[in-house]
Amino acid sequence: MIQIQGIHKWFGTQHVLKGVDLTIQEGETLVIIGRSGCGKSVLLKHIMAILEPDEGDIKIDGRSMFSMLPAEQDEFRLQLGMLFQGAALFDSLTVRENVGFSLYEHTKLSEDSISQKVLGKLGLVGLQDIEELMPASLSGGMKKRVGLARAICNEPKIILYDEPTTGLDPINADVINDLILRMQEQLKVISIVVTHDMTSAYKVADRIAMLYDGRIIGIGTPEEIRNTQDPVIQQFITGSARGPITDKQQKETELL
Amino acid sequence: MSHWANLKRTVAVRSWLEEFGGLCLGVFEGAGGIALLFKDTCALLVTRKIRWKAVLDQMNKIGVMSLPLVFLTTLFTGMVLALQSAYQLRLFAAEKFTSDLISVSLCRELGPVLTAMVVAGRVGASIAAELGTMKVTEQIDALKALATNPIQYLVIPRFIAALFMLLVLTIYADCIGMFGGYLISVFKLGMSSPMYIKRGIDALVVKDVVTGLIKAFFFGGFISIVGCYFGFTARGGAEGVGRATTLAVVVSLILVIASDALFSALFYFF
Repeated sequence: MIQIQGIHKWFGTQHVLKGVDLTIQEGETLVIIGRSGCGKSVLLKHIMAILEPDEGDIKIDGRSMFSMLPAEQDEFRLQLGMLFQGAALFDSLTVRENVGFSLYEHTKLSEDSISQKVLGKLGLVGLQDIEELMPASLSGGMKKRVGLARAICNEPKIILYDEPTTGLDPINADVINDLILRMQEQLKVISIVVTHDMTSAYKVADRIAMLYDGRIIGIGTPEEIRNTQDPVIQQFITGSARGPITDKQQKETELL
Repeated sequence: MSHWANLKRTVAVRSWLEEFGGLCLGVFEGAGGIALLFKDTCALLVTRKIRWKAVLDQMNKIGVMSLPLVFLTTLFTGMVLALQSAYQLRLFAAEKFTSDLISVSLCRELGPVLTAMVVAGRVGASIAAELGTMKVTEQIDALKALATNPIQYLVIPRFIAALFMLLVLTIYADCIGMFGGYLISVFKLGMSSPMYIKRGIDALVVKDVVTGLIKAFFFGGFISIVGCYFGFTARGGAEGVGRATTLAVVVSLILVIASDALFSALFYFF
């Protein structure tokens, strides 16, 4: 279980997260929706303890990563896997070295057994015969899948997806959605997906939470979110250009 | 109206002070950041496992691949040094001292400084650009997410390689510079070959060579840490990486020259 308690984060004078509270249950897929730049990725990086909050705490199975020593934190982090927005593959390493990175770094497994594991994970995301390619020669969709294979290589208990379908064509986006569902079924993990693609959100989510103005303003099952009366969530999920979100933005621009 | 407003803003004391304050903050932030990165690097250097394969790879990139550039720079400097000093020394009929002058000035000063400048331009820039690109494409975050310390993985191999390769490159630069001087002195100024070599070696004392190498060691540290720091702090896409690269080269050149003055003063008095 992940408990996010009152997270605040400032970047300079910018108050990005203004007290985020969330609880994610075992085996659940939570989708966090929100506009670009509203702090969704920042929130994911807090869960991964790549960023530290200015206030608040995050507990994973009752333990906070922010109070651990660096070595302890690294060990704990192996229970989490993250798929980055642009896949963030290391471009000086081959696909095999990328996917098996944490095995090469943190285990004493032989070259052969690492290769076997890498092949297995690549198979799980539907890729084969690309182990010796460099990331630069892969397409966007393949990069995301390799990124996902790398995230699950260590058999994590929690997988974080940062905009997994952004920048992909609709078919590739749906392939990724299917993969997220399949990971969920096969690995029984906690998944947190950050996205602004509503098709993807409805398809993969057990619950959807909306992050707006640094806070979670609504949370519920896809059905509940679809039928919400909240005008802000309504505007976002219907994707209309007029509504409370754009009105507020316009007022802010006028003030400036 | 807006013209007046602009003019008012330009002459307003407050905006000047603001600008100056911002500049000072930037400088201190950078200095503090570089010092902290150096501290963390040293701490991890003794506590964590060193990745020797990566160190060797960096030694190749930083050292071996800089050889041609260092060769050309110091060869021509040695030649110019011989010509210019002979021109002046001739006035006192003291041309035979050309060889002494070349060997001492190269070992004490020009060898380490020229090498450091060449390496700062070539290697400092490439470190900052590589790490900067990794930063803006979230590869540094991915390293952390894969439970790997970016300083251990990226900075330490570059730091160790730069420390040792600057030493080696400086020794190489000293030799090549003296060879450049030899070419001019022997084939152009009519000095005999054994005399050039004997005088050149006799003029040197151990301190000349050692102080030069101590400088080189520190320059290597500065160049790698500064390059890594600006790479790690790059943000905002291609433009940010470009800015980081420029800053890395400028700051490491300034550090090399300023610390060279400091070291020269120290070694002069002690």
